[in-house]
Amino acid sequence: MTASPSLTRPSALALLITAVVTGAFCTVSVVAATPGTRAVVGWSLGAAAALLSAGAYAVTHSVLRNRVLRSRLAALNGQISAQEANAARRSADAVRLDAAQAAERKALIAAHTAELRRAESARAAALAATANAAGRMQALATGMLADLRDMEHRHADEEVLGDLLHLDHRTAQAGRLADSIAVLTGARSGRRWARPIVMESILRGAMGRIGGYQRVRLHSTSDAAVAGHAAEGVMHALAELLDNAANFSPPTAEVHVYVEEVPAGVIITVEDSGLVMSEVQLRRAEQAVSGRSLDLAGLSGTRLGLAVVGRLARKHGLTVSFRPSARGGTGALMLLPHELITHVTPAAPTTGVPQEPKAREAKAQKAQEAREADVEPEATHEPAAEPATGTGATTAAAGDISAETSGEFPQFGESGLPRRKRGRALAAAHPEGPDAPAAPSRASTAASDAAARFSSFRQAVRANSPTPEGNTE
Amino acid sequence: MSRPGRDDSPDRLYTLTGGRSRSGSDAFDLVTLVVTESDPVPGMQSEHVAILRMCRFPTAVVEIAAELGLPVTVVRILLTDLHDTGRVSARHPRSAHRLPDPDILEQVLVGLRNL
Repeated sequence: MTASPSLTRPSALALLITAVVTGAFCTVSVVAATPGTRAVVGWSLGAAAALLSAGAYAVTHSVLRNRVLRSRLAALNGQISAQEANAARRSADAVRLDAAQAAERKALIAAHTAELRRAESARAAALAATANAAGRMQALATGMLADLRDMEHRHADEEVLGDLLHLDHRTAQAGRLADSIAVLTGARSGRRWARPIVMESILRGAMGRIGGYQRVRLHSTSDAAVAGHAAEGVMHALAELLDNAANFSPPTAEVHVYVEEVPAGVIITVEDSGLVMSEVQLRRAEQAVSGRSLDLAGLSGTRLGLAVVGRLARKHGLTVSFRPSARGGTGALMLLPHELITHVTPAAPTTGVPQEPKAREAKAQKAQEAREADVEPEATHEPAAEPATGTGATTAAAGDISAETSGEFPQFGESGLPRRKRGRALAAAHPEGPDAPAAPSRASTAASDAAARFSSFRQAVRANSPTPEGNTE
Repeated sequence: MSRPGRDDSPDRLYTLTGGRSRSGSDAFDLVTLVVTESDPVPGMQSEHVAILRMCRFPTAVVEIAAELGLPVTVVRILLTDLHDTGRVSARHPRSAHRLPDPDILEQVLVGLRNL
């Protein structure tokens, strides 16, 4: 037991007083005792005095200690009760706080939900408005391209034609941008082609939509054609890849396009000799064109291309991948699945030009074959070739041309002489000339039609190119 | 055009000519007769192939333009390309009054048949 000084000092004091009093009593008793008993009395009184002193010390000490402990107990009790009160207050506080927090949380969630809903509807509205505007821009661009084509046919002046071609190119690029926005906003694609489009036209259609089209070199002998519903998407995706290739290569470097037919479909390769993409860039580009994420958040205003390619690839089932090119730059491969590919029959080779010449050419070929076989061809090929002609306003005129020319072919077989075969244009221009009787009389209406057409051509160019028949008039 | 953008071709004219709008040669006018000198080879532009097929017999420039449905200026550029590589040759038509009389030709024909 450790005795604090506050306990020890009064105890020691009690011990001292007792010792002094008993010592004095002992001394007196010893002196008063008889000499014979003095020793015994002395020893016993001494022992009693020592015991008394020790008892006094013990009693004093325990009493004091008792007092100290009791006061400490009281203090502890007080502390405990205070703490209990405190705890009760705190728990009450906590309950109140919890309720407040729950209410706050609820309000916050409600606010967030409302905010989210508002943002969502704002996003949907903005997207719809953008899609709508893009659609209208597409329609404008398409209409303008048709107008420009009309004008290009009307104006034979080289200066005017050059300017028109320039405008045509600009409009095609603007149209591509509108197409891109439409694709990203999920609008319908701009145009639908009613017939399969041959690979050459696909490549040229894509190439015509980018700024640096003169640097693009096409290497294609493929006679594959892309189904009409996917042709626009394929052209657009290819245009974006070409644009990337042209933009990320030196301004004088050429971009090469190769077409290869494989069992899975057709692979179009776009190779540039520009910057080599790093592994990370290649991965990022492949991620972008995979079409897996439809999120618009990663878009930047200047780099829409790959996201557009991704959307189109997803829509039409195209597979796009990138690899380092043997030319030193990057090669982009686009695989068109064979569902999108059709093959035009060799008898009617589809060319990039409108339908009439194709039909006519097919007729010419068949007529030639028929001539060799010495068979009258009209009866067999006329119905087959007729549906292939265009549905435009020029169909009637085209029909005249092909009927007239194909009607003329058998004459070669009979006579073998006239190397001048179809002097049709000349005959039309010189009805009084010696060639005129050679023109078959059954085609007279067609001849006058052709004459009218030819005279308009002549009118158009007479100013800058003096022609022989201009001299004769 | 009745339905713009639907029935026309996706090719723009400037992609046919590589952006040129003038032929830079006056070898071809409207009535120049064009004759093919060599067969088309694979990989040629389809218009070139069409011209070469069409001009196996002499054909006037204006006729080619009408058949291809292309402006004459564009056709002249295409023809100049072919002419520069020697695939076609141009024949300017002789004026009508210098041609042999059809009666003589007919007599020749009859004579040949009688041989």
